[in-house]
Amino acid sequence: MANKHTRLAAYLAHRSRRGTTWLRMRDIMRVSIREVLRKRRRYIGVIAAIALGTAGFITIVTMGRDLKTNFNNDLDMLGGATIINPYFEQEGMERLEWFRDRTLASLARIPGVVDVTGILTKPRAITTFQDRIFGFNLVGVDAAYWQVFSFNAAAGRLFDAADVDQGARVCVVGTLLARTIFGGDQQALGQILSIDDNLYQVVGVLGGVRAGDRGQFIFLPITTARARVVDISQPYSVYMRCATWDDVAPVAAAVKTVVEANQTARGLRVNVAWEPLKQVQRIFWWVTLFIYSSIVATLILGGLGIWNIMMAAVVSRTREIGLKKAMGALDNDIFFQFLFESLCVTMTASLLGIGLGRVGVEYMSHMLGARPPEGLFMVCLAAGLAFAVVIGVGAGMYPSIRASRMQVVEAMRYE
Amino acid sequence: MNSPTRNGGQGDLVIDISDLTKDYRNGEETIRVLKSVNLRVRRGEMVAIMGPSGSGKSTLLFVLGLFLPPTSGTYLVSGRDVLSLTRTEQAIFRREMMGFVFQSCDLLENSTVYENLELPLVYAGVKRRERPDRIRDALSRVNLEHRLHQPSNRLSGGERQRVSIARALVNEPEFILADEPTGQLDRENSLRVLDYFNKITAGSNVAMVVVTHDATTAEHCNRTCVLSDGVLNG
Ligand SMILES: Nc1ncnc2c1ncn2[C@@H]1O[C@H](COP(=O)(O)OP(=O)(O)OP(=O)(O)O)[C@@H](O)[C@H]1O
Ligand SMILES: [Mg+2]
Repeated sequence: MANKHTRLAAYLAHRSRRGTTWLRMRDIMRVSIREVLRKRRRYIGVIAAIALGTAGFITIVTMGRDLKTNFNNDLDMLGGATIINPYFEQEGMERLEWFRDRTLASLARIPGVVDVTGILTKPRAITTFQDRIFGFNLVGVDAAYWQVFSFNAAAGRLFDAADVDQGARVCVVGTLLARTIFGGDQQALGQILSIDDNLYQVVGVLGGVRAGDRGQFIFLPITTARARVVDISQPYSVYMRCATWDDVAPVAAAVKTVVEANQTARGLRVNVAWEPLKQVQRIFWWVTLFIYSSIVATLILGGLGIWNIMMAAVVSRTREIGLKKAMGALDNDIFFQFLFESLCVTMTASLLGIGLGRVGVEYMSHMLGARPPEGLFMVCLAAGLAFAVVIGVGAGMYPSIRASRMQVVEAMRYE
Repeated sequence: MNSPTRNGGQGDLVIDISDLTKDYRNGEETIRVLKSVNLRVRRGEMVAIMGPSGSGKSTLLFVLGLFLPPTSGTYLVSGRDVLSLTRTEQAIFRREMMGFVFQSCDLLENSTVYENLELPLVYAGVKRRERPDRIRDALSRVNLEHRLHQPSNRLSGGERQRVSIARALVNEPEFILADEPTGQLDRENSLRVLDYFNKITAGSNVAMVVVTHDATTAEHCNRTCVLSDGVLNG
């Protein structure tokens, strides 16, 4: 029995024996996890809140850019806010400049640019159909043109890159012309128009939000127009579409330099729809603010929930704490038990949220037809985990300290 | 034996308390609950402390368990002054030297018998593979080995109290403090628990201090000390 006393003495002599400390920590962690698992029902609310918050955060941040791009494509009410229009203007007696092909290729390579299209025009062209004469605006474009302005076919199809490559003798007509010449969209399909003694088959009627402005237009593949139309212009004007409105300003700023690198930029102007752009940015800023604040609110609610549960636990488990201290638990043992419990809850929630977030990312990228940026996802994943630790420690710290400081006598007298 | 001993070299003295007092402060007012307490308990001895309600029996037990500091007096355990220990050392003292049995048959909720007995071993840093043997050993002393993995809330009152006795024993303490251990048990279960107490003290030289109201409980002890008006001699 005397060796019992030496055992105590040994403990007192070096209290912080690392090995046993770590072993004990592991056991206490195990006890905490068991505790949380057994009382999982009371944690479901906070776990759901934090998991949803984390999932929302990960999905929105990871897919944010793809979302904006898609938003931009879908919402044509943006009024071309992300379309930049560089063009050449006559300066003095000099010859009017135009965009060379290599310039267009360089412009397309500016980061943030999705499509570039140069257009050829012949403003007062005429065509004959069944011996009647019609005036119209002739425009030579490539297939990118449709994408830049989000056009679609009201009837038939819009000519594609293959048609442009082959210089096919096809055309797309504006709605107004389709009606006046042929009597309707469907009637126009397959008809043959004569322009400058060349015959073109109507393959489609232009549709889309901005198609109304171009009701009197006939579109030819740019190659065809160049080869066959008399007096067709050079590409004095170019339209560039940016991926998101955030890209507009830097792209617009880069245009002049890029042009100068390829050709003379005399008379170059860059037209940007600044007003609609600002409006869109403002709207999206509010939308973003709204989304982020709901995420933050969810996370704060989760954090408060944990705080609340842990505080309540300290009170309702007063007797248990006293009991454990009577069994010889150190203040630290109690402290870490409560802290681990809190961490266990937030980590579970976070892992769940990351899983859900991954599902969200997969779903969104499937919908948007884009590959999710894995690097960004990893960053978000790390942020989610770090956040769980911060909330777990932040919300669990004070209750844990309270629990560990509790006096045994008070705990044991508590009923 | 290098520990200093008192009482003419009687090394089997576990608890040695002299001239102990304890005041409670209630704002301005101080109440002296324990006025003069002298208590010596030897190995293998089971001492009953009796006294009217409110006489300070629980207070004395809390002092013995180092849960409350006394106002004055000395308290030696196996010859060592334990009042000067720091808070951490006190916790270590509790897990190494003593076991506690409560009136309310306190077990951890939502835990099995095994988990209840494991916790003192966890706190004491006992290796994991040594634990099952020690837990089974402690349970066998109250004849409850067959309840090893039973959830604690599915035990009868008597069984619960026997489990808490086993839990007090599992760390092989020097002495056990029990506050009305039979207070919530019927007569039959009380007698059984007391029987185990007798066997434990007789068999392993553990000292035991039992606070009780109950004459039957006191009869099972080697001697009875009465605490009245804050004075106890024994
Ligand atoms: N924290 C405290 N502050 C002031 N007075 C206290 C405090 N704790 C206990 N007392 C008083 O000290 C006295 C002794 O209390 P104690 O609990 O030790 O009595 P007891 O002998 O265990 O009684 P019982 O047999 O009813 O359990 C009581 O009068 C009680 O009111
Ligand atoms: Mg009492």
